[in-house]
Amino acid sequence: MNFREKLKTGLFTVLMLCAGCLSMPETALLPGAPEDLENCVALFPSGPWECVHKIEAVIQEGMSSSLLGITKGDPAGRKLHTLLLTPEGFILFEAEQHEDAISVLKAMAPFDSPAFARGLMEDVNLLFSPPQGRPSKLGKRADGALVCRWERPDGSRIEIALSTVPKISLRDRHGDLAKEALLMAPFVKGLASQMELRAYKPAPYRLMMTLLPGAS
Amino acid sequence: MKKWAWNKILYLCSAVTVAGLVSVMPGYSQDWASLKESFRNIQSVKAEFLQERHLQILKDPLISEGRFLYLVSGSLRWEYLSPLRSVMLQKGDSVRLYHFSEGAWKQDMTQAVEARRMVLAEMSQWFQGRFEESKIFSHVYSSGSPGRILLAPKEGINRFILGIEIVLSDRPGVIDRVEITEPGGSATRIAFRNVEINASLPSKLFDEP
Repeated sequence: MNFREKLKTGLFTVLMLCAGCLSMPETALLPGAPEDLENCVALFPSGPWECVHKIEAVIQEGMSSSLLGITKGDPAGRKLHTLLLTPEGFILFEAEQHEDAISVLKAMAPFDSPAFARGLMEDVNLLFSPPQGRPSKLGKRADGALVCRWERPDGSRIEIALSTVPKISLRDRHGDLAKEALLMAPFVKGLASQMELRAYKPAPYRLMMTLLPGAS
Repeated sequence: MKKWAWNKILYLCSAVTVAGLVSVMPGYSQDWASLKESFRNIQSVKAEFLQERHLQILKDPLISEGRFLYLVSGSLRWEYLSPLRSVMLQKGDSVRLYHFSEGAWKQDMTQAVEARRMVLAEMSQWFQGRFEESKIFSHVYSSGSPGRILLAPKEGINRFILGIEIVLSDRPGVIDRVEITEPGGSATRIAFRNVEINASLPSKLFDEP
């Protein structure tokens, strides 16, 4: 490979890497109806609830772990309580959240870092709690999917898209996709029977969650 | 007559008390000795189990089902069949954990292998009746029907476990259930059923998931 080819390859690589850093342009929305917000929020359980999930966590392809997750919520009181257990039932992590305050009750290594607690509670909020406040945008995409978008004080935004498979996405303040979750029907007492959460930033991982019967 | 009857009751009470005390002192009780002998005759155990995990957060316990295979030579297979399928394999000092996903067994990346090794080592000792060898529990044997072995955690472990009660079956050397009490009101109850003693267990059951 001569110098020109090397330069071309190098530039192409740099361009590709930069393209990966670019934020997605905001999708244009057609005007929505007043009841659209209710439809977006209806994706989450409304009354007190509890559920048990079978979780397969994939950090990299070929590196995965099987866990049990227990979560309990009280939307009116803005309370969440979550536990992560091994298949044998050892508690690896337990935390409570009241409004925005998180209390870690138990955390075994390697689940004992503040970053892990923040990340896990962010996942739990994304999957089970409707975003707070009024959405900044409501409307329909060209494909007919209803979209509700919330801007958060830190500049990040949450978007709920109600298409055949409802999707919740979280973009950071630069507009980069940080996490997205697919919620698969059937819904049992307001909870999806299957969920897949893909995290891209700051660290990539994938959670495949199956709702276990009897506990919701 | 009244005095004689009263003395007899006192005598019987003290005899029962002494017998009770002797029964909880391993090594000094005939019951304990015969129990140890029963455990010594066990070369392998094959059983199914039903595990109830009681947690403060849940109204109803979390129920898991599985099977358990054990060879006195140092191999153990602890397998959950539901709600999630996973298996822990121990052969000598090696402990491996797998979970079943998308139609295949996958090696689990979960850490805490050391903690699991410790638990498996304890369980191996229980199934051989070697309670006095535990580094983390002291034990008390309570004869009766059913017989029970109470394990009290030593310093350090009591942050996680308040106590373990091993309830013996009518069959000599067979454990009927294990009850683990934790701080904060959580508990685990593992009941064994369809227990087969000294069945032939192929080695590959401890090598592959």
